[in-house]
Amino acid sequence: MSATAASAERWSAQRLVGYGVAAIAAVLVLYPVFYLLQAAFDVGDPQTRPPTAYGLDNFQVLLNYPRIMLNTLVVSFAATAMALVIGFVMAWILARTNVPGRRAFEQLMAVPYYLTPLLGALAWSMLGSPESGFVNQVWRALGGSDHLIDINTPYGIAWVMALFEGSVAFVMIAAVMKSMDPSLEEASQVIGASRLRTMLRVTLPLVVPGVLGAAIFVFAEMLGSFAVALVLGTPNRYYVITTAIYQLIQQYPPRIQLAAAMGTSLFAVMFLMLFVYRRIVTRGSYVTITGKAFRPRVADVGRLRYVLFGVCMLYLMVAVVLPIATLLYASVQKIAVAFPAADNFTLDNFRAAASMNAVGSALTNSLLLAFATATIGIVLMGLLAWLIYRSRLPGAGLIEYVVMFPQAVPRLVFAFGMMWAWLVFPIPIYGTIWLLLIAYLTVFLPLGVRTIAGVMLQIDKSLEECAQMCGAAWTFRLRTITVPLLAPGLIAAWLLLFIASMRELGASILLMGPHSKVITPSIVESWFGTASELTATLALIQTGVVAAAMIVLVAVTRRLGAQLVE
Amino acid sequence: MPTTAATPHIEVERLEVHFGAVPAVRGVSFSVMPGEQLTLLGPSGCGKTTTLRAIAGLEHGSAGEIRIDGKPVYSARKGVNIPAEKRGLSMVFQSYAIWPHMSVFDNVAYGLRVRRAGAAEIREKVERALGMVQMGAFADRRASALSGGQQQRVALARAFVFQPSVLLFDEPLSNLDAKLRADMRIELRDLQHRLGITSVYVTHDLEEALAMSDRIVVMRDGLVEQTGTPDEIYALPRSAFVADFIGSSNLIRGRNRPDLAADGLIALETPSGQVIYGSAYGRPVGDELTVSVRTVHLRLSPQRPAGERNVWPARLEKTVFQGDFTQVHVRWGDQPLIARCAALDPLPAGQEVFITVDPKRVVLLGA
Amino acid sequence: MVHNQHGRITRRALLKAGAALPLVGVAAPNVLSQPLSKSPTTVLDFKTNADVAKAEQEGELVFYCHENEAGTAGIMQGFSKDFPKIKTSYVRAQTGALYSKILAERQAGRFDVDVIQLSDIAPAFDFQKKGGYERYESPESGAYKQDYLSSPNGYFFWTGVDPAGIAYNSEKVAAADAPKGWQDILNPKWKGRISCKISASGLQFVQWYMLRKLYGEGFWKDFAKLQPHAFDSRVQLFDRLAKGDDAITAIGEYPAYILFKGRNAKVEFVAPPDGLVATPLVVGAVNKAPHAEAAKLFVDWAMSKRGQAWYQTNPNLYYASVRTDAPPMPTGVSLTRFKLLYPSDWDEYARESAAFLKEWNGMLGL
Repeated sequence: MSATAASAERWSAQRLVGYGVAAIAAVLVLYPVFYLLQAAFDVGDPQTRPPTAYGLDNFQVLLNYPRIMLNTLVVSFAATAMALVIGFVMAWILARTNVPGRRAFEQLMAVPYYLTPLLGALAWSMLGSPESGFVNQVWRALGGSDHLIDINTPYGIAWVMALFEGSVAFVMIAAVMKSMDPSLEEASQVIGASRLRTMLRVTLPLVVPGVLGAAIFVFAEMLGSFAVALVLGTPNRYYVITTAIYQLIQQYPPRIQLAAAMGTSLFAVMFLMLFVYRRIVTRGSYVTITGKAFRPRVADVGRLRYVLFGVCMLYLMVAVVLPIATLLYASVQKIAVAFPAADNFTLDNFRAAASMNAVGSALTNSLLLAFATATIGIVLMGLLAWLIYRSRLPGAGLIEYVVMFPQAVPRLVFAFGMMWAWLVFPIPIYGTIWLLLIAYLTVFLPLGVRTIAGVMLQIDKSLEECAQMCGAAWTFRLRTITVPLLAPGLIAAWLLLFIASMRELGASILLMGPHSKVITPSIVESWFGTASELTATLALIQTGVVAAAMIVLVAVTRRLGAQLVE
Repeated sequence: MPTTAATPHIEVERLEVHFGAVPAVRGVSFSVMPGEQLTLLGPSGCGKTTTLRAIAGLEHGSAGEIRIDGKPVYSARKGVNIPAEKRGLSMVFQSYAIWPHMSVFDNVAYGLRVRRAGAAEIREKVERALGMVQMGAFADRRASALSGGQQQRVALARAFVFQPSVLLFDEPLSNLDAKLRADMRIELRDLQHRLGITSVYVTHDLEEALAMSDRIVVMRDGLVEQTGTPDEIYALPRSAFVADFIGSSNLIRGRNRPDLAADGLIALETPSGQVIYGSAYGRPVGDELTVSVRTVHLRLSPQRPAGERNVWPARLEKTVFQGDFTQVHVRWGDQPLIARCAALDPLPAGQEVFITVDPKRVVLLGA
Repeated sequence: MVHNQHGRITRRALLKAGAALPLVGVAAPNVLSQPLSKSPTTVLDFKTNADVAKAEQEGELVFYCHENEAGTAGIMQGFSKDFPKIKTSYVRAQTGALYSKILAERQAGRFDVDVIQLSDIAPAFDFQKKGGYERYESPESGAYKQDYLSSPNGYFFWTGVDPAGIAYNSEKVAAADAPKGWQDILNPKWKGRISCKISASGLQFVQWYMLRKLYGEGFWKDFAKLQPHAFDSRVQLFDRLAKGDDAITAIGEYPAYILFKGRNAKVEFVAPPDGLVATPLVVGAVNKAPHAEAAKLFVDWAMSKRGQAWYQTNPNLYYASVRTDAPPMPTGVSLTRFKLLYPSDWDEYARESAAFLKEWNGMLGL
C-alpha cells in the first residue's frame, strides 16, 4: 500500500498539471533567450547558422557606441525622476488629503497607461516639434521667438515617457502610502509639529524605502522603453538602446550580432536592477503591502483642497485630454497646423483610414489576439500563480524566476530572440498570428502572474485547506473554492491582459507577418510611411476601439461578477 | 472518561517537522485513545499547531510516523504520506475558514457533497448538525454575514456533519472574546462527549486545556514536556517549565537532607538555611533538588499556625489586588515567594506574617 | 545597359537604346527570340502565360514591397480590382530591410512570398544570382527595352522609375535663396534643417553613388556636417517639409511632390541641371512561391499597359513608367523630360554597397 500510495501521489493530477505548466513557461521564456545569447556571442559569419565561432567581439564593438549607452541612461534617469515626482505628488494628494473627487481621480490615473505611449509620443510630437509643433506655433503667434519647447530632446523624450509609462510609479507609491500606520503621524502632530513638518520628518522617511523600490522598478521599465524614443528621438539621430537595436535590425544587411549584444547588455542591467528591487521589497523590514487594512488618516487641508484639485485636473489635462485633443485636431486637417485656414479642414483622413483594409484587418487581428491572449493567459498564469505561491511542489521557487524573467528583458529584445527561435522551429508558425499569441503570452507572464498572485495571496490558505479536510480532491477544490474566490481577480487580470495586448508594440513590430498585422505597430508603420495627419487618425481610431471594447467588457464582467456572487 | 481501550486511535511516534533549516517539531510522541480529547498545550512557537497540521496532512513530516487506527498515514521510513483529503479526518480552523461565497447550508453540506451523498441525506444531516450548534435558523444566510461566534459554530457543524472519526481543533476559540470563549468551551466539551469523537485540540490557553481535556500534552520548543491528565499536570508537574506554565508556582532549590527525611517525605535545605518538607512522587531524589510550590497552596496568617512542618516566618513586601484573589509577595529568607490568597483584608507592607504549606503540595520536580 | 563615354544615361542614349545591345560583362542570347513555353492567353486587356483559372483557384497573392503602406496597399488594390478572386496580402519595409527579411526566411526554409518589388537594383542582382527569382518570361516583355528587363529576361523588370531632385518649403525659403543645383545643398545655412533618407533606401544609395561620382568623395563628407534628419519614406520627408520641420530635403522624390502639391502644401521642386537621381523599381516573381500562377499573373498585370497605368496614376505611387508606349505622367510630364542619373555599371554600383552603408550609417550615428 505504501509504495502505490507514494507513487499515486507522485503522479497526482496536481503534479502533472503543475509541472506541465512549469514546462510550458520555461520553454516560452528560455527558448528565445537562448537564441538571443547565442546571437550575442556569435562572432562567425552572420549568414551561417548555427554559429561557427563564439566570442566577446560583439561586446567590444558595443564600446564604440558610448553615446547610445549614455543616452539611454540620461533619458531613463530623467524619466524616472519625473515619474517619481509626479507619482509622489499625486499619490500624496490622492491618498492623504481630502481633495474632492479622490475616488474618480484614482481611477483616472490609470488612463495614461491605457493610452499607449505611442499615442502620447505622436501627440507630443505634434505639440512640441520646434517648427511645426502647435505649442510653438502659438508661442510665435503670441510674439515669442523661435520655439518655446523642443520635444525632440532628451528631456522631451523623458517627459513623455514619464507621463505615459510612469503611472506605475503612482500606483506603487500610493500603495505604500496607504499601508502606512497613521498613528505614526498622529504621534508627531500630537507633539505639536505642523503638517508640513510632519510630512517631511515622519511621512517622507517612512515612505522612502517604498519609493526607492518604486524608483528602481520604474527605472528598469524606462530602460526598456521603445515607442517614445522611436518617434521623438530617431529624427534627430538620438538613439537609445532599444531604438538602436531596431535600426540595426532594419538595416541592410542587418547587424544582428551587434543588436544582440546591445540587447544582452540591456538585459543584464535590467536584470540586476530588478534583482536589487526584489531584495529591497522582500527584506521585510520595510513597509510592505499586505491585506492588513490600515486606514491612512486623510488630512483636512482646508482651502488647499481646491488648489490640489486644480493640480489633479492639470495633470489629467496634460496627460490625457491634451494628447487626444491634439490628435483629433490634427486628424481633421489636411496639413496640421495650429491656426488652420477654413479650407484646411477635411474628413478625408478618416475616409482614407476606413478604406485601408490593412487598418480593418489589423484592428480585427488585434481584437481577436487580445481576446485569445487574455483568455488563455488567465488559465496559464492562474495555474502558474497557484504553482508558485500555493503548491508545495519542489522547484516552484525556480519557476518564479523563470516567469519573472521577461520583465528584465525589453520587449523588443525578447521579440528579437523569438524571431530567431521560432524561425527555425519545425512547425511553421513564424509570420502567423500564432507567433504573436505565443509572444504576448510570454511577455505578459510577469504581469498576469503577479496580478493573479496578488489576489490569490489575499485568500486565506485555510479556506482551501478546510476544503481539503472535508475530503475534496484538488480538482474539486479548484472548481468549488479556489476559482470562485479568485473570480474578481481573474476578471481584473483578464481585462489587464486585454489592454496590454491591444497596446503592445515592442514585440509585435518585429514579429508581424503579412497575414498577422496588428494595430499598434501598424500605427508606427503609418508614421514612417504616411502623412502625420493620417497617423493621428489611426491612433485615434485605435484608442476609440480599445475604449469601446473596454466599456463593453467592463459591463459584461460586472454582470458576470454579480452572477458569480449569487 | 475514556476507557482503557487496547489500541490507540491516533499514534504519533517521534514526529519531526522541519521547515527548511528550522526544526518546528523535534521529536514528539503521544497517542490518543478512541473518544478521548487530547490537548496540545504550550506557548506560541512550541510546535503544537505544526504537530496538529502534520496529523491532518497539511504539513509534511520530516521524520517519524503517524498512525491512525494502526495504519500509517505518514511514515518517513516507509515513504508513506497520504494526502490530507484522504485521511478521513476533519478540522476546525482558528480563522473558521468559512467560505464567503456560499450560504451557511452549503458550507456545512460541503463535506457531504464531496462524499456524493444524496440530496435528502444532505438536508437531514445538515439540519441536524446546525441544530446541534444552535444555528438552525441561519441555514439560508450568506455565510459572510455572520458574527465571529456564529461563524465558529457553522465551522463546527461543517466539521462533524459527515461523521468523521477524528476532529482536529486549531485554537478554535482564540478569536472570540473572553465571555464567549468561556461559554463555547463548555458547549464544545458537551458536543464532543455527545458525539464521542476522538479529538485533538490545540490551544495556548491554560484554562481551556484544563477544562476541556481528557489528557494534556504540554509542549515547548518542538518537544513534549509532560503528558498527563489535567489533574496530574496541575498537581504533579515534572519540570520547572510545566510548573510555572500551568498555573503559577514558586520554585525552591535546595540541598537534599536525607537525615531530616521522615514519614515518606523528603527534606530540603535552602541556601539561606530554611528547611522545607515535600513529596517525591516517585521521582529520583538527587543531591540538589528543586521543588515546586503552587502559589495557591501557600497559606498566610498573621499568627503562627499550628503544625510543625513547613511553617516559617516571612516579611510581607506588597500585595496586588486581582479581584478573585490577592497576590501577596513575601520575602522568605533570601528568596521572594508569591502566594495567592482569596481576598484578604489589606495587610500593611513590612508586616511579619507566617507562611505554611502542606508537604504533599510541595512537589519534587524531575523526570 | 547603355553607357556613353561619361558613364551616364542621357536622353539621347535612351532613345537610341531601341536596338538591343550586348550587356557589359554578361553575354546573353537575345531573350526575345527564345521560344515561349506555351502560347499566351489574353485576360482583360493583356497577355499572360499564367494559368488564370489556377491562379484564381490559388486565391491568394503575397507581395513583399519597399513602398510605404499606402503605396503598397495601392498596388494591391489595383490588382485586386482586376482579379477579385485573388486575395492579396503584403509586407512592406524599406528595400534593405525587406531584402534581409526574405533572405533570412528563405534560409530558414520558409517560402511564403509570391512577388517582390525592390527600389534598388543591387539586391535584385543578388537575388537573381542566389536563384531567388522565378524565371518567368512575360508575353508583355515585348513592350520593354532590354535595359529595363533582367538579363536574361524573366527574372525581374523595371515597373517604374522614381526620380528625385531637391524640394523646399516655400514659406521658409525664399525662391531666391533656394538651391538651384546639387552643390547648393551643402551650404552651411541648411544645418539642422535638411532631410534625407535612411541607408535602407535604394534611391538614397543611387544618389550617394552618383553624386559622389559627379562631385567627388568630399561631397557627402560636407553633407554630413549639416546633421541631416533621415527618414524612411518620401511621404515622411514631404510631411515634414510641408509643415516646416525641415526647410529643404536633399532627396525630394517627384511623385511625392505631386502628391503634396495636390494638397496645397507650400513645397516647391527643383530639378538640378546635372540631372535627377533615379532608381529603378523592380518587380519579379519569387522562386518556390506558394501561389506560383498568381505570381506570374501579377507580373503580367504589372507589366501590362493596364498595370502600368495604375502605377502611374495612383496618387500614392505616381511612378514614371518605362514601358515603351506609356502615356505621360498625370502632371502631363513624361519621363523623357528629365535628365536621369543612375549607374551605368550596376555591378560596380553593387560592389560599392558596403562603403555606402558604412558612410551613411556612420553619418546617422549607427
